[in-house]
Amino acid sequence: MLEIKNLHVTVGGKEILKGLSLRVEAGEVHAIMGPNGSGKSTLSYVLAGRAGYDITEGSISYCGENLAALAPEERAAKGVFLAMQYPVEIPGVTTMMFLKSAINAQRRARGEAELDAVSVLKAVRKMAASLNVSEEMLKRALNVGFSGGEKKRLEILQMALFEPKLAILDETDSGLDIDALRLVAEGVNALRAPERAMLLITHYQRLLDYIVPDRIHVLANGRIIAEGGKELALELEAKGYEQIIKDAA
Amino acid sequence: MTLALPTRWIEEWKYSDLARALGDAGFGEDSAAARLGPVPQGVEAFSLDEAKKPEWVKAHYGKLPANSVSAVSLAKARGGIALRVHKNKHVEAPLALDFTGHGHVRALLVLEEGASLTLLERCGSAETRNTGFEIVLGRNARLDHVRIAPNSSAVQVEEISMTMANDAQYRAHFANFGAKLSRLELAIALQGVGAAADLSGVSVLSGTSHADITTYVTHEVGETQSLQLFKKVVGGSAQAVYQGKVTVKPGADGSDSRQTAKALLLGARAEADLKPELEILADDVKCVHGAAVGDLDADSLFYLRSRGIPENDARHLLLHAFLEDAVAGIANTDLREMVRGMVSRALDKVTA
Repeated sequence: MLEIKNLHVTVGGKEILKGLSLRVEAGEVHAIMGPNGSGKSTLSYVLAGRAGYDITEGSISYCGENLAALAPEERAAKGVFLAMQYPVEIPGVTTMMFLKSAINAQRRARGEAELDAVSVLKAVRKMAASLNVSEEMLKRALNVGFSGGEKKRLEILQMALFEPKLAILDETDSGLDIDALRLVAEGVNALRAPERAMLLITHYQRLLDYIVPDRIHVLANGRIIAEGGKELALELEAKGYEQIIKDAA
Repeated sequence: MTLALPTRWIEEWKYSDLARALGDAGFGEDSAAARLGPVPQGVEAFSLDEAKKPEWVKAHYGKLPANSVSAVSLAKARGGIALRVHKNKHVEAPLALDFTGHGHVRALLVLEEGASLTLLERCGSAETRNTGFEIVLGRNARLDHVRIAPNSSAVQVEEISMTMANDAQYRAHFANFGAKLSRLELAIALQGVGAAADLSGVSVLSGTSHADITTYVTHEVGETQSLQLFKKVVGGSAQAVYQGKVTVKPGADGSDSRQTAKALLLGARAEADLKPELEILADDVKCVHGAAVGDLDADSLFYLRSRGIPENDARHLLLHAFLEDAVAGIANTDLREMVRGMVSRALDKVTA
């Protein structure tokens, strides 16, 4: 589904990704682990199409298509979803209104009929209860005054609503206490499906206790330097990033 | 009466060169018209072109301070309307007041003690016009005022001069979509303890439009309150102006004043001149003011686009969101929705 080959990306003239290659198939959950500054967030932003992240070499193929040629909104309509580390607060737009705009924009782009307010509300409510997203949160301005946990839960709620083919979760565990983490992880696990690929981007092994990946990649200095099964996370936890980077060198 | 029209060399008109915009023709000698929608029960209307003025009109007409341009409308206008809401009369249905035609026009609105009214003021966009409007709010009177200035290629100037007695409440929203030159000057005297003025406004400007809102709020006595929130979205080579001067007179302790003006500039040639100003001559007052000019937040724009919302729609949504707190202050639901709709259409032009 996703094939990244020799990807080089510069941000503000500085090369952050330096020849990253990665292949993820439908139904698989992959984790990208790495220390601060290794390029984890750059990878998530470049997949979602953020401006200012320039691909200087290499390619990203998504479902056989050149992902880099698509605008962020086109990627979303084609099933790419990024759960952000720091979801933005937008005063003046209610959460519910935002969800309706987003769902219908994606549907329009795919040539599907738009949903009316009642249908959207029904769909949202169905997901909201299990993620402990209250009616009151849906009425508030998007992410404004939300706690860290509430913001992350809303990201997962969006993931459930949009039903993406490729979900990228950027540091979804950051800032969550253990109860919030469990709730979010359950939400993510419920969305594991044969037709869906997931990319978990994380600094800590903790998240992987709850969402067990099929494959783990260690990212350091803009490249994948080690790969393995779920046991690699434990090795990382035991040895630390420095040792793994040394071993790989 | 001859008048030297203000040029931008006069400080108060620095951002609005009226003499230049009008050219040699000036405002001319014509009288424009003030037209009323259905007059709700409890509202008394008097046409100012009638010779025999009733006592309540004589008592108030032409009595409030006028700026130099408004003084001319007072001297030259032959038409216009005077309105009175009787003591303790609550008028539910909004009253529509339309200014139309070319030239000078006057209006007077008197709310007697305990009276309340919702006024929808609309500025006909076709012609050049100089409007002078006096408003007198008696004790405990309440006026909800929504003023709509649609996009116009003409020069439109209006001065609203107002006095507020004890516990009078004034809640106003000024929606302005720009003109060749558009100037609304608002002079409010908070004369009675407990008087409160809550002003908000949005300007959505594209092309070469101009919109200037200049306010003078004077806290003449203590325990008075003034709130101002003005938001502007400026595209093309349009120009938005906010000048707001709040004066707290000696002894007006316990006055509370807040003043905020913010603008988003959507083009390299768009301009916003925001000038909040405070003159505090009393001791125990709470006054806050601020102004900010910026661009749309790139993080917010990316967030919305990453959720599938196309760039133009995302901009539109964020601009709406930026203006929303200023629009939300309109108490009447229908009028609020009407302004939201107009804002939305104006934003379509700005983001197109």
